Amino acid sequence: MDFYVNAFTQVMAFGPLTAMLGATLLGVFIGALPGLNPVMAIALLLPLTYSMDPLVALAMVAGIYNGSMYGGAIPAILLRIPGTPASIATTFDGFPMADRGEASKALKIACWSSAIGGIASAIALMTMGPILARLTLFFGPAEYFWIAIFGMASVGVMVGSDPIKGIMAAVLGLLIGTMGIDNLSGQARFTFGQTWLLGGLDLIVVLVGLYALPPVLQLAEKRDLMGLSAAQLKLADAPFAKGELRGLFPTWLRASGIGVGILPGAGGNIAAFLSYNAVKNASDDPDSFGKGNPQGVLLVPAILILMCVGVYVINGRMVDLWVMLGAGLTGYFLEKVNVPLAPIILGMILGPMAEQSIRRALLISRGDPTELFTRPLSAVLAVLTLLIVIWPLIRVLRRRRSTDIPPTT
Amino acid sequence: MEKRQDIVVGLIFSGIGLGAAWMATEYRGASGNYPMALGLILTLLGAAVVIKVIRSARNEPRPLVDAPAQMIIATVVAAVYVAAVVPLGFYTASFLVMLAMPLALGFRRIVYALVVAAVFIMLVYLVFSVLLDKPLPREAILSLLTAGG
Repeated sequence: MDFYVNAFTQVMAFGPLTAMLGATLLGVFIGALPGLNPVMAIALLLPLTYSMDPLVALAMVAGIYNGSMYGGAIPAILLRIPGTPASIATTFDGFPMADRGEASKALKIACWSSAIGGIASAIALMTMGPILARLTLFFGPAEYFWIAIFGMASVGVMVGSDPIKGIMAAVLGLLIGTMGIDNLSGQARFTFGQTWLLGGLDLIVVLVGLYALPPVLQLAEKRDLMGLSAAQLKLADAPFAKGELRGLFPTWLRASGIGVGILPGAGGNIAAFLSYNAVKNASDDPDSFGKGNPQGVLLVPAILILMCVGVYVINGRMVDLWVMLGAGLTGYFLEKVNVPLAPIILGMILGPMAEQSIRRALLISRGDPTELFTRPLSAVLAVLTLLIVIWPLIRVLRRRRSTDIPPTT
Repeated sequence: MEKRQDIVVGLIFSGIGLGAAWMATEYRGASGNYPMALGLILTLLGAAVVIKVIRSARNEPRPLVDAPAQMIIATVVAAVYVAAVVPLGFYTASFLVMLAMPLALGFRRIVYALVVAAVFIMLVYLVFSVLLDKPLPREAILSLLTAGG
């Protein structure tokens, strides 16, 4: 306990606090720029920290990381361009809120959520770190595989109106994730003889295309010729209604629990999606999650330019811009036919992890696939995954039965 | 119509799945098994979408594109912009698309568009080229000026 008190007083000194505040502001700015992520933000800052006192340097790195994690939510809410993969889930509801003129409220909620999530994870790391570290020893490749499949199945089933289309989108994402050189054997897969495909498709490039181009095209279709509508972009102070903030606490608690409980290596992206799902599932009105439409003809080229500059600076390759356009057009039509886009991205994120885990598990078991089901933890995860997939089916059957049988009075 | 669209979507996904599975047969050892399994699962899911749609009685109109002319104009201008980024340079192409896109979509307040374009491009330049020092495709006009000088 002495250790915590001592550390707390040192962190709360003027130097580290100022460093944290400045770095957080810088982080928000960097995170808000499309194409720049928290890791890049830290990399930019790192050379500056070499000559600093270690405590101030660490405070700066922590500040810039948390700031840029929140910063990613800004373009996600205002433009539907997720600044980071973890902020894709923010686009689902943040953007429709901005569209309803509640951008300020959405940004505030994102800020509060980011801060509470950050504090919860810091407390968890301090208190539960050693226990979690011991727990992860029980997780072998088979369990990692099931975690990846569970994440995908839950997102595939929960996002969108048709679970089959959701899972189909997730499998497409997994397939896209296999493009490029196979890490275990060196075999080039689905590269069609193109050298630029040897590294696979860049996640952020596809992400920006899939998510940001469809609203741009919809904006063009609506062609609001009056120019920028000030009311739409106004970030006026939007106070929370009485009890509204209190209503968010259960969500924060549940989401923080999931974030802390997620495995090391599985990462914040899965945690963000799983939290979104859990909260959507627990909602009284799950259909109210994820809807929206934009306006303003001058925004069309402006967003397009931001997308292009954001994508170009990642690898400095022109071909990425074409991939982004292709992904965007595909996303535009897929959305129209009710195929959800989030599972595709999650498939791309989790695909490589799922494949490497299953192949490692099979190597360890010398090709025996029962290894995937017979370990206690992997069996539990497999059953959970199966339940997630068949749950919508059971719900449909129950609904059908309840409409077939007339109520007895 | 919704039904016909979903059948086409299911068939496209099945086609992608079959194509991937077929390509995966040429990959040696375990590196082919996983994409092949994914390809076959995708084929089955595509087929499931088709079967579900055929069995369903629902068939409501669902327009794929709300305003086809505007959508095609925006797509073509975006593609021309991407194609022009290297030959013209990033900022020149961006400035031109800031004017061309609204004009192509029917916006007629040219001075307003010009001012917005200039301010926006200046901001992008300040952030990405001055502050972050990110290399972007070189401006053709600068090369011409240096060649001329």
